[in-house]
Amino acid sequence: MSVLELKSIIKNYPDGQLVNEVLKDISFTVEKGEFAAIVGPSGAGKSTLLTIMGALLTPSSGSVLLNGHDISHLSKKQQTELRLNEIGFIFQNSDLIPYLKISDQLKFIQKISKKETGNAEEVLTKLGLQNRLHSYPNVLSGGEKQRVAIARAFINQPDLILADEPTASLDSKRGREVVQIIQQTVHQEDKAAVMVTHDERVLDLVDSIWQIEDGRLKKVR
Amino acid sequence: MFLTLKELRHEKLKFGALGLIIFLIVFLVLFITGLANGLANDSGSALKNTSAQTFILQKGSEKRLNRSQLTDADWNKVNHRNAAKLSVAQMTIQKSNKASKKTDIAYFVTDANSFLNPKTINGQKLKNNDNNSVVVSSKLKTDGYKIGDTFKDSTSKKVFKIAGFTDNTAYSHTPVIYLNFKQYQHIAPQNNNFNAIVLQSQLKQKTGYQVVDKQSLIGAIPGYSAEQGSLYLMIGFLYLISLFVLAVFFYIINLQKLSDFGTLKALGTSTPYLVRHVITEMGLLSLISILLSFAITYLIKLVLPASMPFSLSSGVLLGTGGLFILITLLSALLSLIKVIKIDPITAIGGNN
Ligand SMILES: Nc1ncnc2c1ncn2[C@@H]1O[C@H](COP(=O)(O)OP(=O)(O)OP(=O)(O)O)[C@@H](O)[C@H]1O
Ligand SMILES: [Mg+2]
Repeated sequence: MSVLELKSIIKNYPDGQLVNEVLKDISFTVEKGEFAAIVGPSGAGKSTLLTIMGALLTPSSGSVLLNGHDISHLSKKQQTELRLNEIGFIFQNSDLIPYLKISDQLKFIQKISKKETGNAEEVLTKLGLQNRLHSYPNVLSGGEKQRVAIARAFINQPDLILADEPTASLDSKRGREVVQIIQQTVHQEDKAAVMVTHDERVLDLVDSIWQIEDGRLKKVR
Repeated sequence: MFLTLKELRHEKLKFGALGLIIFLIVFLVLFITGLANGLANDSGSALKNTSAQTFILQKGSEKRLNRSQLTDADWNKVNHRNAAKLSVAQMTIQKSNKASKKTDIAYFVTDANSFLNPKTINGQKLKNNDNNSVVVSSKLKTDGYKIGDTFKDSTSKKVFKIAGFTDNTAYSHTPVIYLNFKQYQHIAPQNNNFNAIVLQSQLKQKTGYQVVDKQSLIGAIPGYSAEQGSLYLMIGFLYLISLFVLAVFFYIINLQKLSDFGTLKALGTSTPYLVRHVITEMGLLSLISILLSFAITYLIKLVLPASMPFSLSSGVLLGTGGLFILITLLSALLSLIKVIKIDPITAIGGNN
């Protein structure tokens, strides 16, 4: 069964007198245990598509089905709750909260979601961060930060993981490591994941590849 | 609370500096308020601390006791229950044996059986049939006067004995000495007049006389309005300044954290949670600073010399504290609007 399914998604942005149609009739699907990648030139609408998948943006038309439920027209409050409980995000700059220690980054998510899920320290240890549990983000390397962000995305056991260029601020070796970690975790925990990337060299790690160009999405592999 | 405490702990320097600013402003306001109240007491406590409500003065005396002259004929004409005659005379006394040590004082002359006869904190009350024993303000203790001591009226050379002290009463920044009318005859023999008929009840007007309530009479004491007016103007400006200063500081601090708020929202933190976080943070910070300034003000009050009038009741203290909590929350408003408005979408795309 597909975890996420997009049906005929259209997204317009007003552009002065005209409308800028960024996404034109997009359909997409990702299964449990599948790691999908979206590639495409800059400005093609990759981030826009990902924000629609992540209930951060409402599409102009079309439907977004998460586990079979349409989430395309939820209220802001329902969207927030959905993001907290059903979706894990990994951002380009990892975006850790500067005043929370590494273990607290995860504990905070557990706290506000009130879900009794996993052990934050155990998850971080599994990602090789056992010596960093009580450090603040500013002393971590880029790769370490991104690993914390991965742990944070998974801690709440969401069904869907979304990553927007998670390797953009890393060198190619660290970038590959990070994608490897995402791949392993997705497969081990049987999650669905969508990653936007510019980096062609990590595409051998994903299960399916989608190409977006001129607002249209097609499956390449 | 989780976020709030972690953040306060991590950003000690930033929030410490902000707390210091709040502390300094609150302390300054408390100090000036205390001084204003102290001066007000020093100016009119001899009137303020009585149960008097209304003062009947001679017509055209412009609310000034010393400009009003009333006679027994007026007394009979007004003929009011629970009324008392009052004369006020600003004079100088000296220690009986040391002519060089003079003190400016104000005589309050009244009937010892009237409600104007003050309670004493030690010694005896003023009596009508005693030619010699008087009650004086405890302010005179700082000049070395004790119960049983004598002093000499500098003009008439009449000597009185201190029978009792009354609590800290002053008039126009001088200590008050209470006399009965018989004792006053020794000082001003030819004078059978008095300054005011004082009532314990409210009265709006009386034809042929000027009727003044207590507060406006105190306000008309020379110097009183000028002192209070300028001090309260300063306090008012301090409140205004602190509102703006704190608003700007909060705004800058929260502006720096705007992208964090975006990320938190994208991760699923609700806006009410973040609003509570900001309010708790600012509220906690100002509460601690205010309590600290309470403590410092209290310590300062202990070491302040008696000649420097300073008075802060716990009511004024709590009122000022409450007002400042309100001001901090008000100045956090601008930041809150920003926090509410930030779109979680900014977290995606790496464009923050
Ligand atoms: N809030 C907005 N208002 C108007 N236009 C927007 C808005 N957000 C994005 N766009 C436009 O939509 C198009 C797609 O933007 P998007 O950020 O999705 O591209 P992208 O594929 O992620 O590019 P990149 O690889 O550079 O990150 C761009 O032309 C952009 O100008
Ligand atoms: Mg993008």
